[in-house]
Amino acid sequence: MKTIKIRPIVEGSVEGEALVSPIPISFLGGVDSETGIITDSENPLFGESIAGKIFVFPESKGSTVGSYVIYGLSVNNVAPLALIANKAETIVVAGAILANIPLVDKADQDVTLSIKTGDKLVIDTTEEIVKIKKVE
Amino acid sequence: MFLTKEQQMMLDGEYGFAIAKLTKLVVKIGEVNDATKLIPIKNAQIAGVSYFTVGDPIFSFFNMLSKDKVKVSVPSWLNPAGMDMERWEEMGVLESFADKQRRIIQHYKEMGIETTLTCTPYLIGHQPKLGDHLAWSESSAVSMANAYYGARTNREGGPSSLASAIIGYTADYGLHKVENRVPSIIVDVNTSTANFSDFSALGYWYGEKFHGVIPYFKGIKNTHIDQVKMLGAAMAASGSVAHFHIENHTPEARKVDMNYITNIVSFDEKDKKQVYDHFNQIKEDANLVVIGCPHSSLEDIQYIHSTLGEKSIKEGIEFWIFSSQKLMQTDDAKKFLTNLEVKGVKIFTDTCMVVTPVIRRNYKNILTNSAKAAFYLTRDGTNKVNLLSLFEIMEGVSE
Repeated sequence: MKTIKIRPIVEGSVEGEALVSPIPISFLGGVDSETGIITDSENPLFGESIAGKIFVFPESKGSTVGSYVIYGLSVNNVAPLALIANKAETIVVAGAILANIPLVDKADQDVTLSIKTGDKLVIDTTEEIVKIKKVE
Repeated sequence: MFLTKEQQMMLDGEYGFAIAKLTKLVVKIGEVNDATKLIPIKNAQIAGVSYFTVGDPIFSFFNMLSKDKVKVSVPSWLNPAGMDMERWEEMGVLESFADKQRRIIQHYKEMGIETTLTCTPYLIGHQPKLGDHLAWSESSAVSMANAYYGARTNREGGPSSLASAIIGYTADYGLHKVENRVPSIIVDVNTSTANFSDFSALGYWYGEKFHGVIPYFKGIKNTHIDQVKMLGAAMAASGSVAHFHIENHTPEARKVDMNYITNIVSFDEKDKKQVYDHFNQIKEDANLVVIGCPHSSLEDIQYIHSTLGEKSIKEGIEFWIFSSQKLMQTDDAKKFLTNLEVKGVKIFTDTCMVVTPVIRRNYKNILTNSAKAAFYLTRDGTNKVNLLSLFEIMEGVSE
């Protein structure tokens, strides 16, 4: 079990499985708000769903309308459990607040390297930490 | 972050769920950017209007807002939609799209937002004043507000500008603070900027090279508002540059302490040519001309009218100008609009080449004088463009 320090932005304590995007994500055009499936063909996670996962990514890019896509995910019950970014930008901050999805950033290390897809994560925004239980 | 009693009550839900959500949105964006307080805004310009760019998720958001019947608390207006609200069929827009587009605009209207549907609010009477704090989101309008008028706005997103329009505040960070408005590069412009497209090329070149850095331009002689808007739009598109200074011309330029700027670059003929060459992609005939990115002013259209003279647009070529309804309804506009339409020039309002779906769907080879339009139209590889001066375009497509 490894523990990393993070900055909480949208509060919430959750446990779940990580899905890690190695590249920046554009929510508008990159994620289907009805299914949660990643539709950006340049992303190695193309075709996978972020629904019910703790979605880990370096940063968001693209249109600021991406915030509405994140909100749409929650309305359609296909939202991720939580979001972990290296750097949370306006798009993802606005989206996570509208959708009330826990959001943390600014870890003391590159989260897209220290967390692997399938790892079990515990996010605790009160303690400002994420616990990582490595996948076998 | 320090909040006043009223702001704290908004955040705590005293004014309902939607206000609490939107206040939290503005506060959290502020906290992430190390703001220590909220500041009141004079007005807001809201993007996120075209159904082509926002899609269906926006309706979920509108539903949340309409439950609490929220309204904007400061004068607010809208960016362009995905179609001319009257002549959409002529553009090739489908009924299913038009229906969703009308619903989006109706939602905004019910919130008390003026449905200007333009990226150039400053051309229709909404000129900001020196030092005004604003929440504008259209990137070219943001750069004009900051640079040309000396007002203060960050490049807001659709959601954050709407939130600020409703709660009346934005977070005090970025370009709202004087210390973040100073340039850090001097650009010596050593080549002619006679054509509007030259300003566009300069902006595109700079933005691509110096992403997000505020420049101080020297050597630009003429700065008509229509030229400056081409410069700012291109810089914002290629490099997210939200503010700039032009020596002897923009209101904050004379306050700049030049001694602190050590980074000096030059924009030469070869740099300008490089941009035109990059957007010289069409080998066969073009079938569409698009002008009006940012939206054309009356002078822009008058220029086309006088250059055309007795000639008409050639058979087989569509010639589209984009502008705002408010400008086109003026008596000055009516004088030459009918004549232009007879000669094959279509003037669509409320929309533009970047946010309408029809251009990517129905056209391939396009001529434009705007590097911003060229950038967005070619980004996903659907269209090919030639970036030319308006005069060159008119020479080629009229007879």
